[in-house]
Amino acid sequence: MRRGAWHQCGDRSQKLVREQLQQGAGVGVIISPRDLSRTNSITFAQEYRDLGAEVLLDHQYYIPEFTNRRLDSYPISCFRQGVSSLNKISDQDLTKFKNELRVDNEALKTDAVIAPAVVYEAGRADIEQLNVSLFAAAKGVAEDLKIPIYATVVLGRSVTASDKTLQTALSQATALNCDGWYFGFEFEDERIPSVRETVRRCCVAGLTLACTGKPVLHAYAGPMGLLSFGFGATGVAIGHSQNLWKFTRDRWMPAAPQGGGGDAPARFFSSALWGTIIYPDETSQLSATLRNQVLTHSPFSGPVASNLPWPRWESGKHLVYLLAKQFSTMAAETDPRKNVSAAITVLDNALSLHAAIQASNVFLSDNTNAYQANWKAALEDLLKDNQADFDFYDLLI
Amino acid sequence: MPYTIDIKEAEKLFPDYTFVRPLTPSEQKAAFHVKDKATGTDLCLKMIAPNYERVRLDREIRALQDISHPNVVKLIEYTFSSKPGSQRHYIVEEFVEGQDLTATLIPGEPWTIKAVAEFFSLLCDGLFAMKEKEIVHRDLKPANIRVRPNGSPVIIDFGLARHLSLPDVTLTVAGAAIGTPRYFAPEQFDGTKHDIDHRTDLFAVGILIYEALTGESPFYHSGMTALTQLRQAVCDSTVHLTKASFQARDPKWKILVTRLLEKERAKRPADARQVSAVLKKLGGI
Repeated sequence: MRRGAWHQCGDRSQKLVREQLQQGAGVGVIISPRDLSRTNSITFAQEYRDLGAEVLLDHQYYIPEFTNRRLDSYPISCFRQGVSSLNKISDQDLTKFKNELRVDNEALKTDAVIAPAVVYEAGRADIEQLNVSLFAAAKGVAEDLKIPIYATVVLGRSVTASDKTLQTALSQATALNCDGWYFGFEFEDERIPSVRETVRRCCVAGLTLACTGKPVLHAYAGPMGLLSFGFGATGVAIGHSQNLWKFTRDRWMPAAPQGGGGDAPARFFSSALWGTIIYPDETSQLSATLRNQVLTHSPFSGPVASNLPWPRWESGKHLVYLLAKQFSTMAAETDPRKNVSAAITVLDNALSLHAAIQASNVFLSDNTNAYQANWKAALEDLLKDNQADFDFYDLLI
Repeated sequence: MPYTIDIKEAEKLFPDYTFVRPLTPSEQKAAFHVKDKATGTDLCLKMIAPNYERVRLDREIRALQDISHPNVVKLIEYTFSSKPGSQRHYIVEEFVEGQDLTATLIPGEPWTIKAVAEFFSLLCDGLFAMKEKEIVHRDLKPANIRVRPNGSPVIIDFGLARHLSLPDVTLTVAGAAIGTPRYFAPEQFDGTKHDIDHRTDLFAVGILIYEALTGESPFYHSGMTALTQLRQAVCDSTVHLTKASFQARDPKWKILVTRLLEKERAKRPADARQVSAVLKKLGGI
């Protein structure tokens, strides 16, 4: 698993990802069959590889009964059934499942197999057993193809609700004999996770996985990936869309009727704020000095520098580029404690800049300063409470 | 009560072997050091008690047949035959010269750091070979570890081993509590069968390393009168981390042992290979 930023594909992100790779942003791509037909996924996988990226295919069994038109283009979708049905799967069908998994990974020439797995829930031994079976099938595929196997560990809210349930679930999940972890963490319903205790728990879970000595790919990390290298992640998955900024099972539920929002203004992601600011409505209210500090540019933000109209689509590219660049810098440092310090520095600076903006009587919407202080506190908690984990991690490297 | 057979009687039953001496028997097996008359090879012959659970023995055999590693005892032959009036049921294993670890893991006599690192890194190599075959020993203790004359360990007695991808045969036990309590992991006291995995053996390794490093047991002491006291110490207490003999050790050793003795499996090292690598690093091997 390459160290750095990984592109988490979502809806309409395939060309964006290609453009990012062309700009040198990102080291790998996780293809999403929910959002891309099988034929297209094969085509894009080849393009990404030609651009030097590693390619993974996440079959997204989180909510195993979910399906849609694109998923249906993958033969494995015939196994998209509820947990209880899957738990009764015959050996013959499990072999078929394995074959379909192998065919897809072979077609995409993936660099590792991501084992399909259902979201872990507290007290659900049936899910644990199902994940063991699915993992065994996927491991067989990886062995056939002579590539690594990554176990999917996506922790549902019932697991992430307490330290005890978290550790219990991790004890089961980490029994899987894998070569790496594909790690997701379900948060409360909010745009960007902001609750100190839950963010700390996410970092603890990631650090626990990293202490196995195997690489950890933090899936659906988004801007919160700033913290991931501090808990020992190897890769951090980012995407342009807000529903890729944290694991949310809404992505695998039947879609609600689409609302409007087509004319919503662009959000400019500022590395200095480690958050977004509305362009041009809010940026235009800033003093020239503050504006210069806030507007951290990318190859996709040219119009902003000239106060020109900036398509919302470009703001997504800008966001992904800046995240990828920041994470690339952090990935170069292999000491998690130093990455915690680096993240705290970014957050401290962001807090100061937010304070200066408020002092100038500009109040940003989107709650864009709602999480930085809590992220910082969560990292400080992690350093203080999990010294033994960091010490053990040091022994391994 | 150990199952014993007189050596003269055993010689009559197995004319192909020269019987050298009886070995320590267990409840289910009478054991002898024998020599194959045809090849002169030293072997360990274990005669199985008639009341021994066949399915349990099959598991032991399956476990051993799958593994070929210098730190895991080798199975040579397994025979079960039954005729009216006679039954032959025995195992022939590699004979491991030397002694049990009980002879060298002595209270009050800590080992040197180098000796601990060398011995336990090899032991972990053997455990990792077992893990690769999805086998958990579940009863790792000094009596089940032979020490060759050159000092290298050999894991023996797979009677309680479990193949993780096969159903557990301990149907009479609802939980996971089989083995020797002094070397139990928390999940063997409190967990279910699903909670047993290769990290259960790593907890026992943690106890053994602690004993080798400090000369005392982390949890057990002679004043304990009930199993519940040991359970409490293993499952709930962290007093072992504050004992002077442990505190005096090098910080990196303390990190490793603390990790091995974590109550939650997720917090223990991922596998024995990882432990072996750390031990080699710590011992400068």
